[in-house]
Amino acid sequence: MNKLTNLKMGVLALLAAGTFTACAEDNDPVVEIPPVEDAFMEINGGGSTFPNMAFVKLSNEKQTTVTRESWDLAFSNNSEFKVLINGTTGAMAYETEMTSFEELETGYIENLKTSGTLVLDFNNMNSILYVDDPKNPIQNGTALGTIGSSESEARVFVYQRGNSGVEDRDWHKIKVFRSGERYVLQFAPVSSNEITTVEIAKTQDFNFVYYSLDQGSVEVEPKKENWDFVWTAGTSSTPFPQATNGTLGYFFQDLVYHNIYGGVEASMVLETDIAYDNFDEADLTSISFNSNDRLVIGSSWRAGGGPNSSPSTREDRYYLIKDTQMNVYKLRFLSLTSGGERGRPSLEYALVKVGS
Amino acid sequence: MFRINLNKVIMLGISLYLISISLLAKEIKGEVKDSQGNPIPFATISSSEGRGVVADERGRFEIQFGGTECKLQVQAMGFRPQTVTAELEGEFLSIVLQEAIAALDEVVITGNFEAQSARQSVYQVRSIGRETIEKRAAGNIQEVLNTELGIRFSQDNALGASNLEMLGMSGQNVKVLIDGIPMVGRQGVSNEININQIDINQIEKIEIIEGPMSVMYGADALAGVINIITKKPVSTKGYNISARIQEETVGNSYAPFLGAGNHIQSIQGQYRTGGAWSMGASFTQNRFGGWKGSFTGRQFEWLPKNQNMGTAFLGFQKGNWEVDYSLDMLEETVFSFGPENRIENIDREFQTQRYMHRFQARLDASEKFKASLQAAYTDYTRETVTWITNQRTAEKSLSKAPDAQSTLQYNGFTLRATGLWSISKAFNLQPGIDINTENGIGDRISSNEGIQDYAIFLSSEISVKDKLKIRPGLRRTYNSAYEAPPIIPSINTKLTLGKRLDLRAAYAKGFRAPSIRELYFDFFDASHSIQGNPDLRAETSHSFNASLNLERSKDKKIQYGAVLTGFYNIVNDQIAYSIDPTDPRITTLFNVEEFKTMGATFNQRFSFRDWNANLGFARIGRYNRISSESLVLPEMLYSNEFNANVDYRIKRIDTYISLYYKYTGALPGFEMTSSSDGELSPRPIQIDGFHWMDLTLRRDFGKSLQVQTGVRNLMNLTNIQSTATSGGAHGGGPQRPMGYGRSYFLGITYQLSK
Repeated sequence: MNKLTNLKMGVLALLAAGTFTACAEDNDPVVEIPPVEDAFMEINGGGSTFPNMAFVKLSNEKQTTVTRESWDLAFSNNSEFKVLINGTTGAMAYETEMTSFEELETGYIENLKTSGTLVLDFNNMNSILYVDDPKNPIQNGTALGTIGSSESEARVFVYQRGNSGVEDRDWHKIKVFRSGERYVLQFAPVSSNEITTVEIAKTQDFNFVYYSLDQGSVEVEPKKENWDFVWTAGTSSTPFPQATNGTLGYFFQDLVYHNIYGGVEASMVLETDIAYDNFDEADLTSISFNSNDRLVIGSSWRAGGGPNSSPSTREDRYYLIKDTQMNVYKLRFLSLTSGGERGRPSLEYALVKVGS
Repeated sequence: MFRINLNKVIMLGISLYLISISLLAKEIKGEVKDSQGNPIPFATISSSEGRGVVADERGRFEIQFGGTECKLQVQAMGFRPQTVTAELEGEFLSIVLQEAIAALDEVVITGNFEAQSARQSVYQVRSIGRETIEKRAAGNIQEVLNTELGIRFSQDNALGASNLEMLGMSGQNVKVLIDGIPMVGRQGVSNEININQIDINQIEKIEIIEGPMSVMYGADALAGVINIITKKPVSTKGYNISARIQEETVGNSYAPFLGAGNHIQSIQGQYRTGGAWSMGASFTQNRFGGWKGSFTGRQFEWLPKNQNMGTAFLGFQKGNWEVDYSLDMLEETVFSFGPENRIENIDREFQTQRYMHRFQARLDASEKFKASLQAAYTDYTRETVTWITNQRTAEKSLSKAPDAQSTLQYNGFTLRATGLWSISKAFNLQPGIDINTENGIGDRISSNEGIQDYAIFLSSEISVKDKLKIRPGLRRTYNSAYEAPPIIPSINTKLTLGKRLDLRAAYAKGFRAPSIRELYFDFFDASHSIQGNPDLRAETSHSFNASLNLERSKDKKIQYGAVLTGFYNIVNDQIAYSIDPTDPRITTLFNVEEFKTMGATFNQRFSFRDWNANLGFARIGRYNRISSESLVLPEMLYSNEFNANVDYRIKRIDTYISLYYKYTGALPGFEMTSSSDGELSPRPIQIDGFHWMDLTLRRDFGKSLQVQTGVRNLMNLTNIQSTATSGGAHGGGPQRPMGYGRSYFLGITYQLSK
């Protein structure tokens, strides 16, 4: 009954949307909607279990949410061949020396499981080796590494699909290689050799093609010019002298990545330099925007809390975001919680400069 | 008009007097004084007919006797006992006691059936009396124990609690008792008791025994026992009322009587009827305003805390029977204010309530046999309450986020019966049974049937020619929840080497029970996967202790005492967090580790006229857990401690000046570090050493008024540095809170008694 109602509503919504876009296209093809001047926004992270990734577009005040576990791999659409694992569930990938699934024995997998190599926590000093670079995976390195150009040369990876804040799922073995301008993905649960093979073609409108081992191709990100940043949980790193390279892979809540691959740029400003309320277009000359580190906002907008302090927003700073239309917004986070519950942060922003 | 008819009063007095003679035995009064003519308070006077009374704080006493003459033995701590003979009805005895050569000859009870001279006890007992507690003007036990050798406190500022470590072993291995009965805390019965949740104003004495007391006190008495002896009503007819008020700065923050600073108010009274009844009640309020430290906004580094503590006591004594009931109540709220936020502020309160009911009975059936029964029930509740304050509407509401409101509840029941059967002067048997049950319910505690623990124990004291005392003991335990070691043996010996030289040596097996938390506490969220392990066994230990106790004096005015102790403990099956081998995502508890401690302490005491001084040194070795993985690392890591107390009495103005100092040396360690190629190697780390110093002044104005003032934490210590990184998000980082800076206090105590 309930399902049916939901379905009906969905159909209605689709119809409505269809009608609207159809009308818009027919009657007024070049509606120039001015960017939002200022707004307050509560991010729909889904609450205390923070199930969602929330993609935010400031200029139209729009949020798009998708659950973190809805995908497993992200295939880059830019000129290079790079594949991301799902850092938003804390996934990890381990490169074996084998090139075929048959060679991978259950004992090998068992060893990997019991050794804790693919556990993302404070006991695993080497976790950073099995996750994507948190700042800029395409540029700095991914867990799956260089994508082989042929089936015979590509290595098999053991894929732990992530269990940070999501239910644990079966490990898989995966293999990715190039076939011309396409990706080829082969995968099977670790317990079987029933291999699924799919070809993935690049599409220019999106940064990535997302793929779920259960659902196949899925839509996660909006088109690349339709989002400025995403609020999510995800794998980042923390300095830890005992760990490899002094860095420990660590799963963070309340991470904010700006859309570096879509061309969005961000910058952080301290209140002591220029107060948020006073910041205007003239101040932009002193600002340098960043377009290659998606952690510019990252977790820096909140204090992580400690033995005697709870996590909270940092009120000494705010951010500037230059979107793909060259609009510049100043944005500050107001709260980490809503009614005491994490996973529903709120922010406010205002237009500093109208783009072209 | 009201007029007193003097004749009638006199007649009434005389007739009452005559009646009392005819009905009661003869009565004598007296006064106990020292050689300088100062009264000796609380001397005990026991008659050859078996009666006993305790003098009041002015040294006055009354005692009755039936026969024609009566021998009275008069004893007081720090004085040589003296026997006087009373013959005449209504006689007023003026008894002068000579100071004992060393005042070390105090009375101790821990581990024994009844109080006995510390020199006679087979246990080496450290005791801290009310005199010291009062001189230190302490507001909690930590302020008394923080300059003691071998004791380290660590502050858990997230919860506003503190944990202690004794001779290199964690607080889980230290059993905290109130009058011999185990306490219940946040981790369950007698596990990591927050010792500051006890009213300092109700403490007569703190006795510390290092080394396992598992035969006498069962689980968790592995590193040692801290037995808190509470005040009892006066022993003669009359009452005693005292009130205390103390104002203290917390570092440099202070506001009179409320808010910032530390405010202590306490009142207590005791009364004993001429007959069988005695009663007492007390109430103490502690208001700790917290310390902001490096925080500038709403947050505190040391959380503000309110404590209300009450006690009630009712005793009945008749013939050779003694029965009493007491109630201890604690209500504590710790306020954890969240940071200032533009939308909503989140504040938490940790509310603890503890009700401890104790019932004790004692029967001195004959000279040969005495028995005592103790029963106690403790109800401990700890609630976490989270408040949300909307910054726009100023509306305050309870948070609905998961785990924002939670309750943890423990119930503990203890029944303990012990006997003392003196077969001869040289041989006695002390049998006992001990039943402890414990239940825990809480949001993160998986359902469990509680823990039931049944034990019988027997010890015996054998004296050989007054030179040698041997005390073997055995305990047999059955536990419903975990595998307890079936038989716990111990042997304590004391050899008198000279007139003032005693050697004690002991071996004991000890064990620590896994706590309810360790057995059943589960905590899963995005960044935690912690699970209790219901299959844990008890930790066991073998402990060896020896101590040499010397007392010397040139004459009465110059005294010297020294105690040298050595200890060696091996703990097997130590419970430690580790990764579950069947599922490396989960951290759980196992009996995995071996642990050792060894070390020595040397304590000296000097007394010269109005000067008293203590000098102590300790060297404590802890097992280096990483040494098993790397042969080049030392097996034991040592830290040093040094303490000194100096006390001077300015007799002319009745003022004491006391200085308490302790240096706690750096605590070394190693941790594994992963190099760039993923290779693990050990890295030396340490927690820095620190100095602690308190200076206090006490002046007595007559017998009833005392004024205390002084400076706590004279070295202005706040945090100490640690170079350790392990322990993850909650390891406390490089800063370990130790104090909140130099603080000043002024307190007044007023006493009234009759």
